[in-house]
Amino acid sequence: MDSHLTSDRVDMDDNETTTKFIVNGREYSLKIDNRYTLLDILRDHLRLTGAKKGCDLGECGACTVLLDGKVVNSCQILAARIKDKDIRTVEGLSQNETLHPLQLAFIENDGGQCGYCTPGFIMAAYPLFESEEELSTEEIKLSLAGNLCRCNAYGSIIDSVAYALEIKTNE
Amino acid sequence: MSEQSTHTPAVGTSYIRTDLEGKVLGTAEYTADIALPNMLHARVLRSPHPHANILGIEIGSATKLDGVFDVLTPFNVPEGKVAPDVPILDSRVRFVGDEVAVVAAVDIDQAKAAIDLIEVCYEVLPFSTNVHDSLNSASFPIHSEGNLVNGGPLIESRGSIKEGFDQADYVVEDSFTTPDHHPASLEPRAALASWDGTRLTVWKPSRGIHADKNILASALGLSPNNIAVVGPAMGAGYGSKDETRTSVMAALLSIRTGRPVKLELDREEEFLAGRRRHSTYTEIKMGLKKDGTITAVHAKTIMDTGAYLSSGPGVVRRAGQGILYLYKCANVKYEGQLVYTNTPTAGSYRALGAPQGHFALESLSDKASEILNMDPLEFRFKNHVGPEGQPGERTTPRNQIIDTQPVEGGVPFSSNELRQCLKLGAEAIGWDRRDYIENAAGPIRRGIGMSMFIYRGGPGGQSNAEISLDQDGLFTLNVGFMDVGEGSSTVVIQMAADTLGIPPAMVRINGGHTDKTPESPMTAGSTLTFSAGHAAMQAAKDLKDAIINASLKLIGLGDSEGLYLTPNGVKSKCGESISFLDIVHNAGPIKTLASVTPGSKDYIVNSFGAHFAEIEVDTETGHIEIIKYIAVHDSGRIINPRLAEGQVRGGVSQMMGFTFLEDMEIDPHSGVALNASFLEHKSPTIMEYPEIEVIFADSIDPIGPFGAKSLGEPPCIAPAPTIANALYHATGVRINDLPLTPDSVLLAMKNLL
Repeated sequence: MDSHLTSDRVDMDDNETTTKFIVNGREYSLKIDNRYTLLDILRDHLRLTGAKKGCDLGECGACTVLLDGKVVNSCQILAARIKDKDIRTVEGLSQNETLHPLQLAFIENDGGQCGYCTPGFIMAAYPLFESEEELSTEEIKLSLAGNLCRCNAYGSIIDSVAYALEIKTNE
Repeated sequence: MSEQSTHTPAVGTSYIRTDLEGKVLGTAEYTADIALPNMLHARVLRSPHPHANILGIEIGSATKLDGVFDVLTPFNVPEGKVAPDVPILDSRVRFVGDEVAVVAAVDIDQAKAAIDLIEVCYEVLPFSTNVHDSLNSASFPIHSEGNLVNGGPLIESRGSIKEGFDQADYVVEDSFTTPDHHPASLEPRAALASWDGTRLTVWKPSRGIHADKNILASALGLSPNNIAVVGPAMGAGYGSKDETRTSVMAALLSIRTGRPVKLELDREEEFLAGRRRHSTYTEIKMGLKKDGTITAVHAKTIMDTGAYLSSGPGVVRRAGQGILYLYKCANVKYEGQLVYTNTPTAGSYRALGAPQGHFALESLSDKASEILNMDPLEFRFKNHVGPEGQPGERTTPRNQIIDTQPVEGGVPFSSNELRQCLKLGAEAIGWDRRDYIENAAGPIRRGIGMSMFIYRGGPGGQSNAEISLDQDGLFTLNVGFMDVGEGSSTVVIQMAADTLGIPPAMVRINGGHTDKTPESPMTAGSTLTFSAGHAAMQAAKDLKDAIINASLKLIGLGDSEGLYLTPNGVKSKCGESISFLDIVHNAGPIKTLASVTPGSKDYIVNSFGAHFAEIEVDTETGHIEIIKYIAVHDSGRIINPRLAEGQVRGGVSQMMGFTFLEDMEIDPHSGVALNASFLEHKSPTIMEYPEIEVIFADSIDPIGPFGAKSLGEPPCIAPAPTIANALYHATGVRINDLPLTPDSVLLAMKNLL
């Protein structure tokens, strides 16, 4: 659907490989330049722009996604590393217009201001939500320490994640 | 709101932020997320020299590269200007990172490859990376007018400081510096431009789409009617995201190539080509009577504006306002110098100069109270400016609106709850125990500090708002301002809904497109809630009248007495009613446009606050831990407590970067920024976030919409002096130079011994 994005792309010859991977449950087989990062593939090829480019250096966490369930900075994952991997992005959290409890918690607790870091924080918090362990505020903070929020909405972000975990426990 | 209405007010409730759902879903669209068919990608060649003339540029090899469509250089662009001292591209570069040339190519890799093939012949010039060198007459002028902007300082004064200091029993003075503090918004600058042969559309992160449209028009020589500026969601700017070449370069490339062009800056470029908070050097002096009365305040500030002027004149003025107005005093003088250097440009950053000015003023106040042997809080209680304003004569003609940054005396405030802020904060922190804190054996020292501030209260430029009752029986508020993440859309909806007497969920907001919205000022100076709020209220009031008039005939009544709006439609006190749907189906959609110039001819509208902190200092490592932080604000009536609290907590935490961590380091030998990355320019993370208790003073401003005043920037003003004063209380060490890094704490303690 977005062939215009790549139609003009200069031929990269040997740098391209056909790679199979899964994003949000959907299987893709794409001929992609090996030098591309997962973030670029998501944003430019799949048009999944929820993961943001804040630094492209793995320093801000705005591009956080799950790679086989593990939190990664997608800007630091080269195309070669996503072969046969299961990737989950913020777009894959809500189901049929039903928001994930973490997303609802961020809305309820005003966990975002400008919102640019929000998808990254939600994805970084996702494994906490899946975990069976009871977590202290300090442990929540530690798990989110790789994500920057320049609005410094940290207080509301902590509140949002703690709220989601509490709701889950009470259910 | 009508007395009969059953409407539950939205103002004062924590109505959910209206644009948050798209942000948590990842569907909210930011500029870089937008792609157009046949779009080209642009990349900028930046200067490696801090100061040089470009004698020539060889672009032949670059233009021949596959997939390269165009290269802009200073020698092939039109003569328009982005700002008075910023041409589209210039044959003089003034800092490492300044724009030299721009390439448009099919993809970013080809654009980067082309950049590498451009050859530039530079004539390297002498340069200066600090204000002192720039002011040295031997320095090469960075702009033709010289390195001191306007050739002299901005001077504001009231009374006579000579007389004031003559009356003084003591004079306390000191000098202070603040760092180059970068907003470093998580979203780097980006612009997407599309020229269709007659009309230009530009998408960009914007805090003022209408202002941006005018800049593009004047730079490119186009009629504003032929330009549309669209402001998608904005990854924040904190005041800093306008007045750059980014959108102008993308637009020119699109006009020349006939294809859409996207220019995205990377993180390093955002640090260099963005805008930082002005670093300052301030000398400040206060005259005191033995009883603690302040007889004079005099401050001189030198600000580093970097390579270009940007909003420097406004910033240098605002840095003086606390000095001129926070304390009751007949004799005050502020002198502000703005100086060019060959460093990245400084500009607007949340609270523009007020944090720098208040750091000097509020640190000095603590020193003053010590000389007087007076408690620092008591000193503030004794001297803070009261509701009656400053001594002196009003100079503004009676028929004119009072400036929100006055110098004159003789004008009262519309509301001033600074005293209440001091009281509430002192209670919350437990100021009474401050003199009795006992430190255990070991390296930890505990201390309590505070400071207070004054800031513009919200009146801004002329604001317009349009509101309509639509075919679907719902309402649309059509506004030209931008919500840059602070939540202004939400609070304006709350105010409009209450004015109409309907639930806020029935009001949509439409904005972010210059073709579709009435002209509106920039989201700047904490003016939105107040100014756009008044415009929205006026439009809603007019709409309510228009709806009631339209329904009179339909209900079959002769006059509008006793008619009011309910969530379902118009109702009379006798029980007749008509739904909004029936009204629009019979009368058609109804629309009103209001234009207001907010402000007061009788009162100064200002916001106030006081911050208190209890800290622990590790005297072995120099680390400062915040144990308790209390932020008390008089921002009038709080429209949305949860959003307001988020603004304060975020603002305080953001300024912990200014206080403890952040400084853009420029190598004096090369002019190169040494830490233009998040890794090296350390910003507060969630680990550094202190618990911040927010208290709003009981305050309703008689002039503000629903009693509200400004809140966006005020949280940023007091944090640094509050912490510095607590550090002094804990250790006896006063540090006058921010940031308060562990090594500066240790060094200062060593010097104390």
